Amino acid sequence: MSDTQPVQTDHASVNRRRFLKVAGGGVAGSSLLTMLQARQAPAQIKGTTLRILQWSHFIPAYDAWYDRFAKEWGDKNGVKVRVDHIPHLDIPARMAAEFAAGAGHDIIYNGSSILTRLYYKNLADLTDVADAAGKKYGGWIPAAKSLVEVEGRWYGLPIFYILAPMLYRKDLFDANNLKYPDTWELARVAARTLKPKGHPTGIALSQCADANLFWRSMFFSHGGTEAEPSGASPTLDSKELREFLRFAKALFEEGMTPEVFSWDDASDNRYLASGVACWVHDAISAYRTTEDTNPPVFKNTFLGLEPQGLPNKRVSVAAPNVWMVWKFSKNQGAAKEWLAYLIDNDLVGMTESRGYNMPYLTDRYKKPMPVIGTDPKLQILQDFPKIVAFYGYPGPSTTPIQEIVNTFIFPDMITRFCRGQSMEEAIKWGVGEYRRIYAKHKGA
Amino acid sequence: MTASSSSGGPDAASARAAAISVASRARTSGWFRSQTSRRLGVGYLLLAPAVLYVLLLVGAPFLFSLYLALSDANVGEPVASFVGLANFRAALESDVFYIALRNSIVFTVVAAIFKGLLGTTLAFLLLQPFWGRKVVRGLVVIPFTLPVTISVLSWKWMYDSQFSVINWFLSRIGLVGSYGSPDWPVWLGQAHLALAACIIVNVWRSFPFSAIVLLAGFTSVPTEILDAARVDGTSFFQRFRYVVVPMIAPILLIGFLFDTVFTLSDLSIVYLLTQGGPANATKILPVLAYQVGIQAGALGRGAAISLFLFPLLLPLMILLLRNLKRRED
Repeated sequence: MSDTQPVQTDHASVNRRRFLKVAGGGVAGSSLLTMLQARQAPAQIKGTTLRILQWSHFIPAYDAWYDRFAKEWGDKNGVKVRVDHIPHLDIPARMAAEFAAGAGHDIIYNGSSILTRLYYKNLADLTDVADAAGKKYGGWIPAAKSLVEVEGRWYGLPIFYILAPMLYRKDLFDANNLKYPDTWELARVAARTLKPKGHPTGIALSQCADANLFWRSMFFSHGGTEAEPSGASPTLDSKELREFLRFAKALFEEGMTPEVFSWDDASDNRYLASGVACWVHDAISAYRTTEDTNPPVFKNTFLGLEPQGLPNKRVSVAAPNVWMVWKFSKNQGAAKEWLAYLIDNDLVGMTESRGYNMPYLTDRYKKPMPVIGTDPKLQILQDFPKIVAFYGYPGPSTTPIQEIVNTFIFPDMITRFCRGQSMEEAIKWGVGEYRRIYAKHKGA
Repeated sequence: MTASSSSGGPDAASARAAAISVASRARTSGWFRSQTSRRLGVGYLLLAPAVLYVLLLVGAPFLFSLYLALSDANVGEPVASFVGLANFRAALESDVFYIALRNSIVFTVVAAIFKGLLGTTLAFLLLQPFWGRKVVRGLVVIPFTLPVTISVLSWKWMYDSQFSVINWFLSRIGLVGSYGSPDWPVWLGQAHLALAACIIVNVWRSFPFSAIVLLAGFTSVPTEILDAARVDGTSFFQRFRYVVVPMIAPILLIGFLFDTVFTLSDLSIVYLLTQGGPANATKILPVLAYQVGIQAGALGRGAAISLFLFPLLLPLMILLLRNLKRRED
């Protein structure tokens, strides 16, 4: 498989060219480290231009802050900074186009679908920046490196992730003597009780990012795994998968409506804000949307930790956000400098995103955290880093997993079962697709 | 003319000899200097930009996609190796491919039928004299000229599972129940409704184009011929079937050809409305090719999937172009 093949290196033959390369790299690396520690931009980036491509954030105010913040940094360091925003679903196509052209932005953003493994040979090695940040801020949370590390090197910098808690209507729960949805079973009981009263629930079961994320959380919390810890082969076909599917179908039939088959990533926000939903499992954008559009519902909206599937088993699949630097970028120095500065200020970013952007660095979880630490309803989010995982759990986000995610095989398998296909047929299809994609990458 | 030449002296003889020598040179240098050859030369020269355009913008991408389809290329790998027909085999082994193929055919055929019917009706309506006809003619092209993202996102709102204005209207006139009832249509969430919803947007967007093509054809039919047919006692449908259609057949065929190609290769409507869901119920070949080739990075497999459009379109194109040629002859 392309992901697990190590790079062949010949340590025995150290010729003059190799010596110069290594020595040069060492000098450059050490000067960068010095520069990163001193937190002063080097003179050589002065007068350059830095182009950044990233998504349009779900919290628009964050984009306004980011653009301003980047410009201020540029002005301070003599760098002309240009930030372009496009919808997150358009990023893969744009990335392919820039790679094919060998030109474009210096820094490119990936959100949700992380393509580090596909492009790593064409991305700048950011290990030095990652190591420096790790040393400075108590190390990275365990799941971080699975997104960006290939053969021991970091080809991207995780700057924030978007986690998804339970958002539930405490007024409806209390009025019906329902318990806090600490387990998926309790969430199911609430859904089953409140749907006949006009308050169903919902998790997107369509071809969108939310469906890829949240059903995986439920699956992993039920003890399921997607791949081996090494990432070498899939482990989907299991008794845990069958247990999970049985649960998912029951939850759908008892507590949801077919609307979930048509949802996009913002539908659950609207569902909660409209006052219909008794609970949704979503990012806190749903909380913010409700806050902005329906204050009475917002007053009664509370947050819960990722529900347990099995006793003490909570895995929350978060939407990762990663920044990468093209190898063809002529301004890698400024790009690294900017990313290091952004990591230094990730808590400012967290504030500006109204608590949406969760950091990857351990020291950032000192309580109280900005925004979420001061809001009694959001404080629970501070306990998430221990249970956060990404696609391919417990393995890394490998190339086959990225293909599986981008072709929506996991939610499609659940949809097939919920729409009436037999469980074994749905599993046969899903597992078959996993195996076919893994086999293709093994042969590559 | 000089004096010597007019006298028919030695100069005239040399002129005759020169004329004979020119003629013989022309014969010996072949037909290259003839008027026909010059005409052909200029013709080819004028055609050259169009040929070059086709070769560069159609031929080169087609050959490149063939190369990709026969290789294990992925988006991040500049060097690809030859894998023969493995990508085509992989596509044929996936049942999502067959769903996408079936949906592509259903999508194109059903949309073509509705576009034909609505386009013809609209064209006839626009032929009638009425006050403000010019304004209406201008307005009908709006769906076709609006940016696809804006118009499709507007439709997405109209189809919204909770706030659908279509359902609100249908509910008000008593055709469907209220929100939350079992007969509240979830346009993009129920398999057949979702495909129908995508087709409706495609028809809405494209039938004005069909109407304008037909309108151009209708107005080119000489009124004398229609009057003569009317005098002969033909009905409206007979005149349409036996006079108008044969006369505007080339325009109809070209319009149909364009529309089929555009519909079959249209990625935007389905992608923006459903991304191919629910559970691939609306997946068509271009969407599948995009997801596999660009989003998932498997360029070779994506190219192979998109190349399946070629054998779908080729027989249709041959049939239509042959028909067109026969009519010209």
